[in-house]
Amino acid sequence: MKRKRNRIRIDKGISLFLSIVLVFAILGTVVFFVARRLSAEMSASAIQNLSESLDLIKCTIESISDKEAEFQCLMAHEIANLEDPEAYIRSYKRNQTIVKLSLIRSGETEGISSTGESFSEDELDFSMGGMVGGLPVSQSYMNYMGTWAYTMKCPVEKDGREIGTLYVEYVYDSFDHSLPDGFYDGRAMLYIMDSDSERFVLKPKGMGERNAGHLNLEDFYRANDIREEGLRKEVADTLSSGGNILFNHDIREKDALNFMWSVNGGTIYLIGYVPIEAIQQEERTVNQNIAVVVIIMLVAFLLCCLLYYLNQRQQLKLRAEREKEREIHNQQLAEALEAAQAASNSKTTFLSNMSHDIRTPMNAVLGFTTLLAMDAEDPVKVREYTRKITASGQHLLSLINDILDISKIESGKVVLNVEEFTLNDLVSSVDAIIRPMAGARHQEFHVEVTGIRHEYLMGDETRVNQILINLLSNAVKYTQEGGAIWFRMIGQKQRSSQYQHIRIEVEDNGYGMTEEYQKKIFDAFTRAENSTTNKVQGTGLGMAITKNIVELMGGTIDVSSQMGQGSLFRVELEFRIPESHADQQFWADNGIGRLLAVDADPKACENICILLENENLSVETVSGLEEAVSLLEEAADDPIQVLLLDWTTALAEDLALVGRLRACMPKGAPLLILADYEQEGLEEALWMEETRILTKPFFVSAFKQKIREMKAGQSRSSSPGEGKSQSLEGLYFLAAEDNEINAEILEELLKMEGAGCEIVENGRLALERFEGAEEGTFDAILMDVQMPVMNGYEATRAIRALKREDAGRIPIIAMTANAFAEDERDALDAGMSVHLSKPIHVELLKEIIYQYVSEKGAE
Amino acid sequence: MMRLTAVCLAGITAFSAAACGNKGDIRNNLLNHEEEEQRVVNLFSPMEKTDPDAENIARTAFDKTVILAEERLGMKVVYRTYTAEDYRDKTYDDICLDRVRSNMDDMYLLNPDVTMKLAEEGQLMDLSGLENAKNLRDVVRMANVVDGKLVAIPQEVVAYGLFINKDMFDQYDLELPKTPEEFLECCRVFKEHGIETPVGANRWWLETFVLAQAYADMYNGGDPDGEIAALNSGERRYSDYMRPGFEFLKTMIDLGYIDAEKAYVSEAIEGEGADFLAGKTPIVMAYWGAANADTAYGDTDFQMEVIGFPSSHGQMPVLSMTGFGIGAEAEHAEDAMEILDALISDEALQVYAETNRVISPSKNVEVECIDALKPLNDRIQENAYVLATNAGMKLEQWGNTCLIVRKLLEGAAVEECMAEFDRLQEETIRQDRE
Repeated sequence: MKRKRNRIRIDKGISLFLSIVLVFAILGTVVFFVARRLSAEMSASAIQNLSESLDLIKCTIESISDKEAEFQCLMAHEIANLEDPEAYIRSYKRNQTIVKLSLIRSGETEGISSTGESFSEDELDFSMGGMVGGLPVSQSYMNYMGTWAYTMKCPVEKDGREIGTLYVEYVYDSFDHSLPDGFYDGRAMLYIMDSDSERFVLKPKGMGERNAGHLNLEDFYRANDIREEGLRKEVADTLSSGGNILFNHDIREKDALNFMWSVNGGTIYLIGYVPIEAIQQEERTVNQNIAVVVIIMLVAFLLCCLLYYLNQRQQLKLRAEREKEREIHNQQLAEALEAAQAASNSKTTFLSNMSHDIRTPMNAVLGFTTLLAMDAEDPVKVREYTRKITASGQHLLSLINDILDISKIESGKVVLNVEEFTLNDLVSSVDAIIRPMAGARHQEFHVEVTGIRHEYLMGDETRVNQILINLLSNAVKYTQEGGAIWFRMIGQKQRSSQYQHIRIEVEDNGYGMTEEYQKKIFDAFTRAENSTTNKVQGTGLGMAITKNIVELMGGTIDVSSQMGQGSLFRVELEFRIPESHADQQFWADNGIGRLLAVDADPKACENICILLENENLSVETVSGLEEAVSLLEEAADDPIQVLLLDWTTALAEDLALVGRLRACMPKGAPLLILADYEQEGLEEALWMEETRILTKPFFVSAFKQKIREMKAGQSRSSSPGEGKSQSLEGLYFLAAEDNEINAEILEELLKMEGAGCEIVENGRLALERFEGAEEGTFDAILMDVQMPVMNGYEATRAIRALKREDAGRIPIIAMTANAFAEDERDALDAGMSVHLSKPIHVELLKEIIYQYVSEKGAE
Repeated sequence: MMRLTAVCLAGITAFSAAACGNKGDIRNNLLNHEEEEQRVVNLFSPMEKTDPDAENIARTAFDKTVILAEERLGMKVVYRTYTAEDYRDKTYDDICLDRVRSNMDDMYLLNPDVTMKLAEEGQLMDLSGLENAKNLRDVVRMANVVDGKLVAIPQEVVAYGLFINKDMFDQYDLELPKTPEEFLECCRVFKEHGIETPVGANRWWLETFVLAQAYADMYNGGDPDGEIAALNSGERRYSDYMRPGFEFLKTMIDLGYIDAEKAYVSEAIEGEGADFLAGKTPIVMAYWGAANADTAYGDTDFQMEVIGFPSSHGQMPVLSMTGFGIGAEAEHAEDAMEILDALISDEALQVYAETNRVISPSKNVEVECIDALKPLNDRIQENAYVLATNAGMKLEQWGNTCLIVRKLLEGAAVEECMAEFDRLQEETIRQDRE
């Protein structure tokens, strides 16, 4: 196709070129013929012009000569009548034309002349037979004045008898006065040549160049490079016959008309040349004009060609752009198709995975439900089956949660909820979740925090928590029983003073991963499966979610692993440091200015120092108990106000020294023992006064909290409500739920807890029911969100807007499958008291209802 | 692009309109201009026969100065020329005499002997009043002052010398001759080696040999003023000075070193030039400018050197001055004076000297000469030279000696030639007394 197009283009180009050549050829031919015709006409005109000019000069000279002859005859007649002709001759004074008179009496050979010398005709040569006005004329000669002259002789007759001969000498210079000054604007050359001797006898003023051959005809030929024998012979023949000749011959590389023009019957000749350009002055103008016209036409024609070419090029360019655009469009379409197919495949894969992943627990639920129906009489089996159904349900729920989470992350709807948090809380909560899981699998779980300068940070704690839980729960899952898991939080060098750079490492010595799997571990629906891990349950979405969240936070995650050796996940994150959190007065308020840390691990000591760096506190560290004791003893004047003792260090030494330490310390000064979870032997230590356990890792916030508790005289902390039973006994609720099953479950659950409820099918009914009920009828409203007629938000707003005293304070608890943070925010914005996502966790529901109802009661 | 096209089209249209346009002329008289009366000076000068292939820088140099003068003064110099066709024609000098006496022109280029004759006849104007005459070198002034009048002014000091084919001298291991004896020895060697005519000569310049030997002593360490006075008074005889040179020439003729017959009918350079350029003749005599002119010896195939004529004082350049004179009764005498003043201005002479590479008559103009001329120039710079014509001598030397040498060429004996000198001297003394 392209080749064909190129060929068409070449054909078009050739056609255009041929057209141009044709136009040029026609134009050139026309111009050539016009110019040639003009040239021929002008040449004829030039010849005519020159002939007329030469004729004019010839006539002038002949006229002068004739007049000279006439005058000489008149003079001869006068002399004949004189008594003493010789006296007349002698007395003659030369003028510009007649420079010498001579008279020879008849019968004598010598006579007299006006110059006073004797005169003889032998001095002259009349042999050539030239005649002017009927008088014989001599050959030209150089006269006594040093100029070229000729003599005419005339008989002197008296009474019809010849008494003598009058010789009159004329100079050629006399013609000069009668000829024009210059010939063809001084560009032509003209000489008068004596035809017999072929000598140049006059160069009229203003005519000719110095180097044009001034001497004779031969010199003229030589100077003007006229060497052609044929031409020279023709000229010679013409001269001998007394005719005229005009011929073209280049003179000094210029085209010129050469002339030989007979005067006085060929006795003298006008010889010379005229450059053609001097005669045909208009030729140059005409040629120039023709050239101008031709050039203009050519330029116009070329301009047209250029425009045509540019237009073609423009069109080709546009066509090419269009084609390119079409290709891009096609490519985009192909890509879109491919993407759609990929999406379709993905969807298929997704559905396939989902089908599998959902069917598995669903199969368990249904299977155990069947078994439950069969073994309903056996309470042990019923409990066993319900426990497994619950586990499967939980798994199904986590699967759905993960699917929703990844879907939301991938669609870009996740918004990070950046708030201030402490690493202490983060690590504590993670530790609280993971440690039991690890403990259940008899795994060691090590938490290490090093190099952290700032423990108060800004970030989405929930999502960070999610990352850590995902990584650590995976580590627990994919590590064999009795294995070990390390959770490290390492402070990195700060790139900016406003950000804390933290590296989180989760390492295990578990099953490890193949290299192939490492490449796709962060893709959705991937799960390492082999003989050892196929027992592991999971959605296969956790790592994809983790990676997405990390990237959403601007961090990176990577993994390195070896089969059978374990894995190491490394997350790099940066958290903004809040402007100021250091409670500088805390230590002063609590009378603490000096701290001693006792730890055999120098890194741990350094870590403590780093964390306390910005506190208004003097920190000293020692590696052993003995050293600590001696330091305490020495510091009697400036006592240590608080002592941090690493329990592992204490265990490695003598525990008795711990007592000595306590004794050395001032009364009331806190002694905090840094210990890992579930470390043994601490009971004895706690018997000492002002001694408490501070769980590792060390965080300033936890440290301060512990100090604060000790100073406040509080005993070991316990959570609010701990130990108290949460009962819903006697409470009565209004529940808006459009789903009958859910409504029934809710009703049953509440009934089991001794509470009653009234179910309505939508928000409007809930509103009407609440509006119609007396104040205090309901302890709380459990409100679904997505309902027909009126949804939960609208109903809540309407209830809160009721002009009843309890409308504003009755707890409205959102119970909805809309489980995202935004949903929670919308619920709270609508006026709901709390948001509880489905499926309903009975214990959580109880706790929340109890909390809000009791608050209501308190009011 | 469209804008460019529009501009091009507009340009073409404007150009076409301009090309087709015609200036309106409302005058009835169709003549574009009327001839203005232009001041004209007629200059009579010789002209070489034309050779279309040769560059004649001598003439070019002169033309340049003429153009300079014309432009400066707004005048026109009209050239009138004469060249003898052959030896039977009247010579240029004869024609000069006739034309000056007949008052045919305004300004003439005159050979020294003609200048002398015409000056003695009172035919030439005194040029000493010209503004630029004060720049002339003393030697120039001395050669052109007659009866206290500066009668001619040259554009160049013409130095005559021997043009040597150095390659031929080297070929036969010959030193360049300084004395007449050495010169004859060189000729003998050349002759022995088959060089038919060692010295190429013409009918004009053989007197240079004679003059170099005649006055070498007088101008180089002698008493020129005293000796010239003695010659003018008849106490000393010219023939005594001239004899050695004539005897020398006679020897040359007798020994066949010079072809007398050919020389007698040969024009300058025309006769001997071809053989010299062809390497057949090792020695010719010519003027300085011939070494620069393509029409003469400006482009030789061999190494050429120009040396002085042999004399008792070594190689001796013979200086001559072809000067411009103005007719006493010239029709355009004043204009001619102005033109001549312009032609001898330092500016014009600088142009002339630079173009022609010659010795300038002005004290203020110096130019480098070509290598071939250096031996001759070195001698002139040493003030070793002989004047061909000295206006102080009542008997004109250059022309008369030339004519008497021609008699020698015709076969006259040296004694006859000396007798002619004596006769001329006596005639001159008698005329002077009258």
